[in-house]
Amino acid sequence: MAIIAFGSRPHKEPPTSSSDEGKGQTEPARPEPDVRFTLANERTFLAWARTALALVAAGLAITQLLPPFPHAPWGRPVIATPLILLGAVLPGLSYADWRRTQRAIAMGEPVPPSRLPLVLAVTVGVIALAAVGIDLYSKVSGR
Amino acid sequence: MTESSDRGLARERTTLAWTRSSIAFAAMGVAILKQRPVIGAPLLILSAVIWTAGRARRRPQLAGLAPRRVLFVTISVTVIAVIALVIALAGPSPRGLHL
Repeated sequence: MAIIAFGSRPHKEPPTSSSDEGKGQTEPARPEPDVRFTLANERTFLAWARTALALVAAGLAITQLLPPFPHAPWGRPVIATPLILLGAVLPGLSYADWRRTQRAIAMGEPVPPSRLPLVLAVTVGVIALAAVGIDLYSKVSGR
Repeated sequence: MTESSDRGLARERTTLAWTRSSIAFAAMGVAILKQRPVIGAPLLILSAVIWTAGRARRRPQLAGLAPRRVLFVTISVTVIAVIALVIALAGPSPRGLHL
């Protein structure tokens, strides 16, 4: 395989000529995807897994550590449940992304864009607004 | 930078990412350990397994771990989230930390 500029995608053609990694290494039929791309894909997946764990930890902390809202006792679970639910679905979604990207790298196709950042941003944004709303509601009903 | 050294760094970054992930599991385990050792202790074991999985590429004897380790993390985090959901909804609701 020709030397690939950093950040570019691997070529579509399988490496027919001699591979530049390791002498005497014959890689027939199935093209070996560039390991840098598969490693980057794996790191991205792991980052999503940690994000999911952080969401779960935040949700647990809200139900276990945050003092209850004085006039909205339902407030804590209402905030925590969507956070933990997001933490529950993110690993599966990012695994699907990882597989899709893995396939694209192997085929030398463009890596499909991920919808996960949008899902995360919208969900966390809505939960944050809801938390502010619940806090205000609790304060106003206390008067 | 030559391609081979970049590959080495990419591997290094990936191993570090596995280490970070393993630490995230350990942190969660330690946080839960005192209240619920039945859940916290397995999390610490899980952390050790993920630490090891992150090094699977470097050790030929662990090569069998490599292809399935991503799926393993997927399942682990999902199961933890489901357990957390049960605790959050059905468990006792403590009065929280009053700082």
